[in-house]
Amino acid sequence: MASENEIMTDISDDDYSDAFDPDEDMEAEFDDASSISDSGFSPIEPDSHSTGKDPKGKGKAVDSMLTLDNHPGASEKLKEEQKVAVAYVEEMLQLKSEQAAVLLRYFAWKKEKLVETYMDSPESTLAAAGIHENGAQPRLKRVRGFVCEVCYDEMAQETLALSCDHRFCKSCYAQYVTSKVVDEGESRRIQCMGSKCNVIVDEKTVELLVEEEVLERYRSLLNRTYVDDSTSLRWCPAPNCDYALKCHILPRQLDSIIPTVQCSCLHTFCFGCGDADHRPCCCPIVRRWLKKCADDSETSNWISANTKECTKCHSTIEKNGGCNHMTCKSCKWEFCWVCMGPWSEHGTAWYNCSRYEEKGGDAVNQDAQSKSRASLERYLHYYNRFANHEQSIKLEHELATRMEKKMEEMQEHSSLSWIEVQFLAKAVETLTKCRTVLKWTYAMAFYLAKNNHTAIFEDNQADLEQAVEGLSELLEKPLDEEKIAELRQQTTDKTVYVSKRCQILLDDTLRGYEEDRWHWAEAIKM
Amino acid sequence: MSRSTMNTALKRLMTEYKQLTAAENDESMFTAGPISENDFFKWSCLISGPTDTPFEGGVFEAELTFPRDYPLSPPKMKFNPPLFHPNIYASGDVCISILHAPGDDPNAYESSSERWSPVQSVEKILLSVISMLAEPNIESGANIDACKVFRDNREQYDEIIRSHVRQQLDI
Repeated sequence: MASENEIMTDISDDDYSDAFDPDEDMEAEFDDASSISDSGFSPIEPDSHSTGKDPKGKGKAVDSMLTLDNHPGASEKLKEEQKVAVAYVEEMLQLKSEQAAVLLRYFAWKKEKLVETYMDSPESTLAAAGIHENGAQPRLKRVRGFVCEVCYDEMAQETLALSCDHRFCKSCYAQYVTSKVVDEGESRRIQCMGSKCNVIVDEKTVELLVEEEVLERYRSLLNRTYVDDSTSLRWCPAPNCDYALKCHILPRQLDSIIPTVQCSCLHTFCFGCGDADHRPCCCPIVRRWLKKCADDSETSNWISANTKECTKCHSTIEKNGGCNHMTCKSCKWEFCWVCMGPWSEHGTAWYNCSRYEEKGGDAVNQDAQSKSRASLERYLHYYNRFANHEQSIKLEHELATRMEKKMEEMQEHSSLSWIEVQFLAKAVETLTKCRTVLKWTYAMAFYLAKNNHTAIFEDNQADLEQAVEGLSELLEKPLDEEKIAELRQQTTDKTVYVSKRCQILLDDTLRGYEEDRWHWAEAIKM
Repeated sequence: MSRSTMNTALKRLMTEYKQLTAAENDESMFTAGPISENDFFKWSCLISGPTDTPFEGGVFEAELTFPRDYPLSPPKMKFNPPLFHPNIYASGDVCISILHAPGDDPNAYESSSERWSPVQSVEKILLSVISMLAEPNIESGANIDACKVFRDNREQYDEIIRSHVRQQLDI
């Protein structure tokens, strides 16, 4: 649970989004309320930002960097938005503002849907949202001879009932609300304590009940739900980051758009799924791939690739040694491991099965086996490369530390200044970024059907891979004091080249999504 | 947990105990009370098997464990020894809607039925458990074997329970 004094919102704006905004007219293609800007690629290499060269709109597949503003009042801005919505509903439906707020939260801030549903049947809509029609204000009251149903106390203390008139003593209510807010992190769904009563404890009532600290937390949680409920807002998933980002993207667009956004905290992630940057794979592919890697669907593949079935009882058998004369453990059937035919036909032809060509044993079975063996091999091919790059990315965090040392060394042993040795830091940064892209190209390639477009994709991938490995090798080389200038030249060149290859691959892939050029080997449910 | 919630829990449990003992008579289907005066958060209860069910004639012992923030959170109930019943886990833990807070539904089956709220009480829980004994809810089963027998072979189910009851009464 988040800490108490965490106040969440500050909406970030990405500096880059203003700096590089070649396709402003694109905004129209999205919901015009947001200022989506295409900032092509990442901040590392603004000069290779190539979407500007593309025909209009091409870049949108890349990323739509987010945006509300970053000025200090941004958290106020979120509140302001809510206030406006509440006022609108209040006015439109002639309700009290607390009621309007509860209704809006129930409808996840979808004003139009709310108004429509309400117009159809006001009573049932209010009841479903947890608002009692009479709308009586909850007020603290002393009632003579009142026994609270929660603590069974008869002392004449202040009592409180929501509009549903289920009355309890104030201290019980306060404890209840406090525990909901502090222990459970609940805010907009706190209900009346009565059994089977769904009336919502609104903000005004909470104000009456709890201490300042709890109230603050309640408000911040309540504010949080505004972002959680909204489809166009998302919290930055980086640890300890309190920014929310806005991006208008529909779930059904995710098969052709990868809405990569960068938060002010510099964390780059996909707005569609909240995962770290996974270009050039689109979200559905990423989901499938990660699931495939995580679950044991490959276990069954392994079983079929490495075992055979008894031709009689279909028990799964793994042969881990011994001769080819098999006796099934469960049905006692004797057969030949090589041709899968009955052993009785073999006579004395031990270890030398000549029947393979003649009869071929269970041809269908063999076919299925070799197929699944091929499919396993194919998967492992892509998975190994995917995992390999992932591993390298992790190792590159160490590399970054080593580079820092190297940079210090260079400053000591040569006339280069701090700014002049930054090329190493930049190279490492580029390396990591390109490896991330490479990593995901393998997941994508796994699902791509074989055709000419895929061949081009794989060429691009190979080029990038080669470039990346070249750069990586260069960085791993021990430092030769004589050749620092040369090293600097080479590294800088390679870094630029790698970035360029990466950009080319991304641009082409994303254009491919747009032109519907990619064909998947299996039906991908988008 | 603050001191005051604990006091509320204690006060409330004492009052409930007082009311239960006051209301008790020969007709009562159950008795319940703290195991020791030092710990009001652990109760023991005896439930008699409802009439016209295979449980008839049996007396079943169960333990109630109350959380420190009772009655905001529900207690836990466990039959000791465990009972063979579709809604009782093999460990003896009772799985019934009234013992779950709203929103906390392990099987997502209980949306319409009664949930825990601070106005429920020990008495209401025990009455619910008694009616659960008479009418198991196999939609959200805790003991799958019991669910199966109950659904497919009622006679066998009744017999299992009757023998369990006999065994318990030592006859």
